[in-house]
Amino acid sequence: MDFRMNPGQLRIMVTGLHRGENPQPGAGIVRSIRRALPDAFIVALVYDALESGIYIEGGPDAVHAMVYPTSGADAYLDRLDAILHQSPADLFIPTLDAEIELLAHLPGELEARGLRFVLPDKATLQRRSKQHLPELAEACGVPVPRTIAVFDLAGARQAASELAFPLFVKGQYYDATKVENELQLAGAVSRLLAEWGAPAILQQRVHGPEFDVLGLGDGQGGTIGMCAIRKTALSDKGKGLGGMTVSDKRLLQICERLIGELKWCGPFEAEFMLDESTGAYCLIEINPRFPAWIDFPSMCGANFAAALVDRLATGAWPEPLPVCPAGHFYLRHQIEVHGRVDQLALLTTGTGFGQGQ
Amino acid sequence: MASTLSDLMLNDRGFAFDPASGETFQLSTTGLRLVRLLQQGMKPEEAVGYLVGEFEVDENTAWRDATEFLRALEQLGWISA
Repeated sequence: MDFRMNPGQLRIMVTGLHRGENPQPGAGIVRSIRRALPDAFIVALVYDALESGIYIEGGPDAVHAMVYPTSGADAYLDRLDAILHQSPADLFIPTLDAEIELLAHLPGELEARGLRFVLPDKATLQRRSKQHLPELAEACGVPVPRTIAVFDLAGARQAASELAFPLFVKGQYYDATKVENELQLAGAVSRLLAEWGAPAILQQRVHGPEFDVLGLGDGQGGTIGMCAIRKTALSDKGKGLGGMTVSDKRLLQICERLIGELKWCGPFEAEFMLDESTGAYCLIEINPRFPAWIDFPSMCGANFAAALVDRLATGAWPEPLPVCPAGHFYLRHQIEVHGRVDQLALLTTGTGFGQGQ
Repeated sequence: MASTLSDLMLNDRGFAFDPASGETFQLSTTGLRLVRLLQQGMKPEEAVGYLVGEFEVDENTAWRDATEFLRALEQLGWISA
């Protein structure tokens, strides 16, 4: 990879290192970066001292506790300043939806701190949000399950009567729960409104297998690469425990239309259900970030995280990534990682640990 | 979204992978032979006739089993109706 600056000098800040039942993308991003740039200096921002990716072999070089994005821009930037003072960084790869929602409002503030990043603008971010997905899908000629945003329980009951059970209740950023009746609906909507705020999203259930596509948009309507999988194993929470690369032009063409319409810049993951009754791909969500399975394509020869680092480091997109051939699969595999109580102590008291302090 | 028969990845033991759907299948010996013959460009009736001779079964039995199998291939989109 042709970096204009010394790769050994790259200091990359990454978030979202948890790898539990609901894994975040950061640890996979770190692993992919290490494959291409073993000497990169990686600074992890974590929201919990027990994010397991902190403690993996080949993990981050420095780790700092971050304040939640919901604390607001001032608190977030204050904490960022303190961290950058201890562990300077050049590149920033936020990986969580709630962070991206906040940071899309703060590009000037990040630039002022000397950070290089790729973030969608506010309007584009909004266009792919769950509640505006139907309009985007219509503009691109992509089927989407009937979706209704609700702001309270009465609205949820009304929407459920239109959509019919079973249906999915989703939070603005995270979480999707299948509900079969009004009792489950009330529980799920109340919990999501309390946890993530209004609106909650009710979505018609589509029967069929799930397909996901990750990629990097170039901001001009094209992509640097995409990798499509069929989810072959799901956890109780619907999280992918396994996936198989597929090669279906129809699916990739849908993604090209969506990314072209949005002129999306940076990482994305588009989620689809293949409707068994119609044979059509139904768009479920577009996430403004890499998914947790981001390191899998790098094992098939397409290192998306390294391509993003290349873009951030040089200001130019690298050559398009190779196509991930059909027939490669991943399985999520749990292992134990080792940490020490002194590391916990440093993280919980706000100091952080690692080199570059 | 379906693959065509020529896209299928097959091994000699009947393991089949559909690259468009990502699904895997295990074909029987006769199923594998029929798919191979169709991949070579034979029409279904021609391929079934070939199997009658090769596997020494009566034509009615062969057609009964083959019809069901061919319907499954149609449903998978591997051959057209």
